[in-house]
Amino acid sequence: MTKDKVIEVIKKNIVDNLDDVEMDDIDITKSMKDYGANSLDIIEVVSCSMRDLDIKIPRSELADIGDISGLADKFMEHVKA
Amino acid sequence: MSTPRVTHTLEDNGIAYLNMVDVQGKNIFSHRFVEEFLAQLDIIEEVNPRVMIIRGLDDVFCGGADKESLMELASGEIVVRDLVISERLIHTRFPVIAAMEGHAMGGGLVIGLCSDIVLAARESRYGAVFMTMGFTPGMGTTTLLQELVGPYIASEMMYTGKRFKGKELAEKGCGFNYILPKADVLAKAKDVALQIAERNPKSVGLLKYTLSARKKKLLIDARVQEDLMHTISFGYPETKEIIRGFYAGS
Repeated sequence: MTKDKVIEVIKKNIVDNLDDVEMDDIDITKSMKDYGANSLDIIEVVSCSMRDLDIKIPRSELADIGDISGLADKFMEHVKA
Repeated sequence: MSTPRVTHTLEDNGIAYLNMVDVQGKNIFSHRFVEEFLAQLDIIEEVNPRVMIIRGLDDVFCGGADKESLMELASGEIVVRDLVISERLIHTRFPVIAAMEGHAMGGGLVIGLCSDIVLAARESRYGAVFMTMGFTPGMGTTTLLQELVGPYIASEMMYTGKRFKGKELAEKGCGFNYILPKADVLAKAKDVALQIAERNPKSVGLLKYTLSARKKKLLIDARVQEDLMHTISFGYPETKEIIRGFYAGS
């Protein structure tokens, strides 16, 4: 799995969970908060994405991630090749 | 004196407000929070307003049980104080409107379920999150949630523990009276409250008594099963582990 593919999954879940955000609008160097996500929106995007990617990452490992690209990097550490 | 966690406001038009304002604790059921909630409700009941609106914070309506209560339950103690909240709200003599502008989770959602009229916000999230922490739902959720959202959506909410966005619930056509943009929730709640306040208060009280009979019974039915399930499900060693994992790092 490539990082681009992981980013695509995250973007799809951002669009599903946030209001008025289109796939093409999303800049991966930004945080989900920049698109109006509240803390529970972020938890939902992360848990939906982990389900789509068939990975499980403990909450404590996800605490310090700033932007969408950083989240994709964290996911990449866990996705099966 | 420390900052109050719950306050009340009384308006001349007969509308009372129960305000959950624990910014620091994010409106979760700490000992102090529940104590203040019940004390403020006592004061309002003494006044006997025409109608009561329950409000939370802008981001959180109410977060439900705190870790301490869950660990007490997991060690076999019965935590009565949270249960009293459902009981007390259902037994009020005046109609209760839940203006859930912010998120409502677990027992926090139950506050809505025990109200007569329920408003939610499109942007906020609502979840019967009990199962995400490994144990079965409580506080009347198993029967009362079906009343609000219908049995099938209630099943999905309880089995998955998913925190649904108000917008999603609106699309599912749930029984909420209104699911509005957050900024409009309180104004609509006031509008409904004013309409109730204009009616003959004695007849409103009478109607409340009749309409709440069903909920009182549903709560009793729920409690019999839920208390039994809690005794069993909190007894599983896995449950304690999941609760600990859930709060790890917080």
